[in-house]
Amino acid sequence: MKYIVMMNTMKAGHGVPAWPKKDLQAHIAFMQGLNKELHERGELVSAEGLSFPDQAKLVRAGKDGIPMTDGVFPESKEFLAGFWIIDVDDPERAYEIAAKVSSAPGPGGAPLNMPIEVRPIMSAPPPEML
Amino acid sequence: MKYILLMSGTKAGVEGYLAWPKEEREAHMAVLHRINKDLTASGEFVATQPLAPPHEAKVVRGQKNGMPVTDGVFPESKEFLLGYWIVDVASAERAYAIAGQISVAAGPGSKATNMPIEVRQFAMRESKSE
Repeated sequence: MKYIVMMNTMKAGHGVPAWPKKDLQAHIAFMQGLNKELHERGELVSAEGLSFPDQAKLVRAGKDGIPMTDGVFPESKEFLAGFWIIDVDDPERAYEIAAKVSSAPGPGGAPLNMPIEVRPIMSAPPPEML
Repeated sequence: MKYILLMSGTKAGVEGYLAWPKEEREAHMAVLHRINKDLTASGEFVATQPLAPPHEAKVVRGQKNGMPVTDGVFPESKEFLLGYWIVDVASAERAYAIAGQISVAAGPGSKATNMPIEVRQFAMRESKSE
């Protein structure tokens, strides 16, 4: 069963966090260690980080199909900061992995306990959507 | 340059889509399939995934002991990721053009949905994908 594990962030206060360098390094080392562990267990499909929200664009097609871009988002909008796609035996394992991501260390090495969204991935749209 | 094109919507939006006549849902999906085919032909396609509907989403936090706490209660206004495309393109403009094509996919009455598509570049570092 494939799941996407999503780390979201608010626009405010994003960018490289103003943490001491050693705390940032510990955070990154934690994520790299987790990716390595998931890879060794054969559960990692992919993991990607996204660029910061100031580079995000919202696109709609105009009448002639020409893209219209907008970079203005409400302050309350959640942005995807990064995601993992994992292939695991059951949802409980997906939640376990999400909890690990959630507990990544922040300033002073304390776990961030950030909320992580977990969603099943479909190989194709379900029949009721077709 | 890799970009992710994010299609999001609320629970109410998903329910609205499910109420479209079947042939209009099929016409909509046919446009999306054709876009995938075109992107594959041009060598720009990396991946696409639809996600399971929002009622299967969970938000997870790690507790002190590392055990996951799950919650499936979200505010009605929350936007959920419905699906995404990862593309590898020569410029941001090309990513916006693809997002425009997705945005213009037909909805009820063969009218373009003009749904907003969020375009985000992958962080400029080595991919952790294996």
